[in-house]
Order: sequence, then C-alpha cells, then structure tokens
Amino acid sequence: MPKKILMAGNIAIAEGAILAGCQAYFGYPITPQNELLEHMAKRMPEEGRVFVQTESELAAISMLYGAAAAGCRAMTSTSSPGFSLQQEGISYMAGAELPAVLVNVMRGGPGLGNIGGAQGDYFQATKGGGHGDYRLINLAPASAQEMMDLTMLAFELADKYRNPVVLLTDGFLGQAMEPVIIRQPVTELPDKPWAITGAAGRPKNVINSFEMEPANFQPRVSLLLQKFERIKQNEVRYQGIHLDDASLVIVAYGSASRSALTALKMARQKGLRVGLLRPITLFPFPYQILADLAQKVSDFLVAELSSGQFIEDVKLAVGLDKRVELASQYGGVPLAPETILETIERMSKVTIGR
Amino acid sequence: MMETMAVHGPGIITEEEPFTPGHRACSGCGEALSVRLAAKAIGNNAIIVNATGCMEVVASPFPHTSWRIPWIHTLFENTAAVASGAEAGLRALVKKGKRPEKNVKVVALAGDGGTSDIGLQALSGALERGHDLVYICLDNEAYMNTGIQRSSATPFGASTTTSPAGRESLGQVTWKKNLPAIAVAHDIPYVATACPSYHRDLMKKVAKALEVKGPAYIHVLSVCPVGWRCATEDTIKVGRLAVRTGVFPLYEVENGQYKLSLTLTKLEPVDSYLKLQGRFRHLTEDTIKIIQERVNREYAKLVEMASKSSPSG
Repeated sequence: MPKKILMAGNIAIAEGAILAGCQAYFGYPITPQNELLEHMAKRMPEEGRVFVQTESELAAISMLYGAAAAGCRAMTSTSSPGFSLQQEGISYMAGAELPAVLVNVMRGGPGLGNIGGAQGDYFQATKGGGHGDYRLINLAPASAQEMMDLTMLAFELADKYRNPVVLLTDGFLGQAMEPVIIRQPVTELPDKPWAITGAAGRPKNVINSFEMEPANFQPRVSLLLQKFERIKQNEVRYQGIHLDDASLVIVAYGSASRSALTALKMARQKGLRVGLLRPITLFPFPYQILADLAQKVSDFLVAELSSGQFIEDVKLAVGLDKRVELASQYGGVPLAPETILETIERMSKVTIGR
Repeated sequence: MMETMAVHGPGIITEEEPFTPGHRACSGCGEALSVRLAAKAIGNNAIIVNATGCMEVVASPFPHTSWRIPWIHTLFENTAAVASGAEAGLRALVKKGKRPEKNVKVVALAGDGGTSDIGLQALSGALERGHDLVYICLDNEAYMNTGIQRSSATPFGASTTTSPAGRESLGQVTWKKNLPAIAVAHDIPYVATACPSYHRDLMKKVAKALEVKGPAYIHVLSVCPVGWRCATEDTIKVGRLAVRTGVFPLYEVENGQYKLSLTLTKLEPVDSYLKLQGRFRHLTEDTIKIIQERVNREYAKLVEMASKSSPSG
C-alpha cells in the first residue's frame, strides 16, 4: 500500500516539489502560503538541497531566473501581491525560455486585500501577467492530492517546453488538510544542454530575452507562439462529471469546483441533470471540449472566486448564443454550494427560447 | 542591576493619544507601545505612512482604525517612497500657493522586514534624495505578522519558522543587519536608536527627528512576546536588558557625530537577556560566548566612535 498522509495543501505542494527533484527553493513570507515556505525551510536542508528565504519576492523570482538558467529544477511560491511583484521577472523567464515552477496561493484582492482564498489572479496568471507576448502553462489543483501531483507535473511540463509553469491555487486549498498518497520520487531528470554551466570544452550558451532589432526579434517571438500552439494541442487537461446526460453544465476550477461538485450532488438529488466540467489546465484552456459540449448543452453556469474573469474564457468557448450565468464570490469570501444551487434552480425553472 | 527611575508627574507626558487604545495587538506588544509613544511626540499635524505589517493589521482593520491623525497604507516594499511622494506633493502644493505652509510632518512607519529586507531600496532612495521626513523602523526582529519568519534583522542564534533550530542548525546563522549604520552612511542629519523601555528617551528622539530639516531615521527595538517567546509582562524588562547588555545600545548620530544616550559603566552579561526568551533556549554555552564576544566588540566600536565625535556635533 502506498503511504497516505493527512496534510495541508501547502505542505503537499512542498513535498510534491521535493519528489519532483526540485533542487532549489526561493521564497518570501506572505499569507496564506507561509506553511509552504516554512516546510521548505525544514525539509530542503534535510534533503541536502537549497532553501533560501529572499529579501523580497523580486529577489525570489530573480534567484529563480538564475537557478533555472543554471539548469536547476527550481521553484518559488507566493500569494497574490507577491505574484504581482514578480511579473517583470516572469516575463523575462518566458522570453528567455527558462523552465521553473511558480506557485501562487491566491488571496483576496485587489491591493493588500485580505488573506482569504480567492481566484482573482485568473487574468494575470493565464493571460501572461507581465509585459509582452507570452503565456504561462497554468495548472489548477482542486485537492491536496492534486497539489502534490500537479506540482510534480508542473516541473515536467516546465522542462518539456522550457517555459515557466504556474500552479494556480488559493488560500482555501492551501490551508485545508486532506489525505494525500505520497508518490514515487522522480529519479531521472532531463538533460539541459542549453543551461549556463561554464563553457569549458564546449561552445558558450547564452540566456537572454533581448534583441535590439525588431525585425530580428519578431521571429523569436514567433517561435514562442509556435511553442504555445504545441502546448494547446498537447496539454489540455480537464475532468468531466455527469456530462453525458447533463442539460446544465457547471464550469469551475480549483476550490470553486469543490463547491460546484457539492452543488451538483444536491441538484442531482432534486432530479436536475447537472454536469461539471473542471479545467485542470487553465492555459491551455479546454476551449474545444467546451465548444463540443455546447453542441448539445445550452445552459452553462460558471462558478468562480472572482468577479467574472474565468467566465470570459467559458463564453469564448461556448459562443454568444448560449446561456452562461455566473455564481461567484470574491474578495476572499468562500463560495457556498447553496449559492451555486440557487442559480442552478433558477436557471432550470426558466428556459430561454432559441 | 536595573537603573532607578524617577516617578514622572502628570503633565510631563501628554495625555493626547493620536494612536488610540483598542487596537488588536497581542498582549505585551512592545511595538504598539513604541507607536503609541512615538505618536504622542508626533502630535496631530502629521501624516503617517504605514507599511504592511503588524501595526497596519492590528490598527486598521476596515472599518476601524486606531489612528486619530491622517494615515496612509502602503505596499510592503515602498513605504519610504510613498512617504517621499507625500512630502514632495505637499511641498509642491505649498510652493504653488495651493496650500498654506503648515509644516506638516511626514512620518513613515515600517517593520524590520519592510525596512531591512524588501524596503531597503526605497529607504535608501528617500534618504539619498534628502526628503524632509522621519522614518521609524519598528524592529521586532522577524516577520511576526506572517508567523515569525526570519528577516535580516533577526539576531544570530534566534529560532524562527524559517530559521528553525535543530540538529542541522542553531537557528539564524547570520548577524543582525546594522540598519542604523546604513542610514548613517547616507550622511543624513539625524539617526537614532530607541526602545520603549526607555519611553522618555524614545519620545525625545522622535521630537528631535521631527525638528530636523531633511531625513531622519529612528530604529526602535520592539519586544514581541509571541515571536521572542518571552512572558508578556516582561516586555519592558526584556527591552531594558537588550539595552543594558549592549545587545541593542541606545545612541544618536547627529550630522555624523555619535553620542551614547546612556552611560553604561559595565554591560550586563548577554545571558541575562537571552535566557528570558524561548527563541534562544536551544543555545549552548559556546554559542552564547560567541554572541557575548560579538556584543563586546560592537559596543566597544560604538564607544570609540562616540569618544571621537565632538560633543557639539
């Protein structure tokens, strides 16, 4: 039997990183991700690996840039305001094609906001966030188990595509404790012949994101865009629940999908044919899956812990002729299943002609 | 052991409380006391620029506030820059005749993390540009608001959640960053250290800093019973021992001239300070000896700098 341990989501991320062969971790205190930082402070030295508490999130992302360029599997973790501070560095990493894992345990915003869980950084994380034409792979766990599993996947995808990967989660999932099956550690790490490791006996490697001549820079960006297309083709991940007979589909990710799943069960008990589509990758977004669903379903309900960000991608996928409603909380307030259920019941009573 | 203190009659300290009681600081909070005393010296004709941190969280949970005077919250890293902006903005309005000259004081408050780590760049910029403001660092020697993570102001040997003491480590392995020395290096008119255990000294220094034209920096050691794991009723005692052991000497640097605020003929042993705090409980005799030697050395340097300085400044 594999080992099953009760742990908080933040700890599961830390242990997932260690299992995935993360050799260096750089972090800075911010609630609600502190447990991750503190756990790494204890565990990384135990493993003979590097833990650095930096002087700011800016230093953390920059140390990550350096460690990734040196060919090291490396990670930083933060929460919303810290993620904002890191955007310049993230853009540089995307531009220089450096693989690294960025954890954002989202909290209520904008501004200092509060330390409650939220999903208000959706646009920032999935559409680029910093300056320029780039995307980050976004993985959205919905349980402590997925916190571990998707952290491990994040390292794999980062190396596979030489691109930063965001583990986009929130304070509720970070703090909640759930049983986690401990996975097997990754033993073989990919070669990184592009890394800067000294040029003794081989040509030099260069890591940069700069090209003075616009005409020369555009082809470079084009290569990035081609990479993002490959990611869209190959890496879409999602979970579908009761989609076969659903007349109404809830679309939700992360902790909002947990509330949605409870609401689904309550609705099913009332005889309402409700399904759930849970994107696991937010970039690439499962546009085609939703577009296919929209061929047979007209009613969609988006549940999110932000004031209407995620819903824009759902609308883009299903088309403007479909009914897409929103059940949301924001500013750090949790979304009760009852709130989603009320919307389901209201939508089920009123059918709109087509 | 302890110095004798005179009883202070009424009227010596103002009963005005620009920073009111009823805030949510933990019992025995030395930092809230620092702020209260500083606020009495600051008075009403001021703008408080407050970084993210304990004092911001406990004193301004929306819609409540403990501040009776104008107050603005900033990010974590930019307190000194926001204070610079407020000072420059007011100055511009006065210069253009849009506002009367009321000699409004701009006072920045930030913790040790917000000052010595993430806010150091902004602080250096403000001091270098020479804004007319007072920057008060409320130093409780770790990120207490987020759960006792080490900062570069955490002392050597202290156990925190990110510098945990154990088989592999004695806790914090680096020496406390000397922030007052960094401020002095900017060649600003006034730098001082203070501790609320010496309340009149603290208030006097804040008042002096406000009078100075140009930047002033005050570094206030603020005992945190939660993070330091000491008894809440020992806040004043622990602060006093920090001073009397030479771990945190009180001094002023006016125009580059050092002056000790307290004449200590003999330093108390550091052990008397360390043993009151759980964060140092794991330290061995050998480690305490290393700390004692460092304190002796640093204090001697300070005494020498004071003796070389001219008394008039």
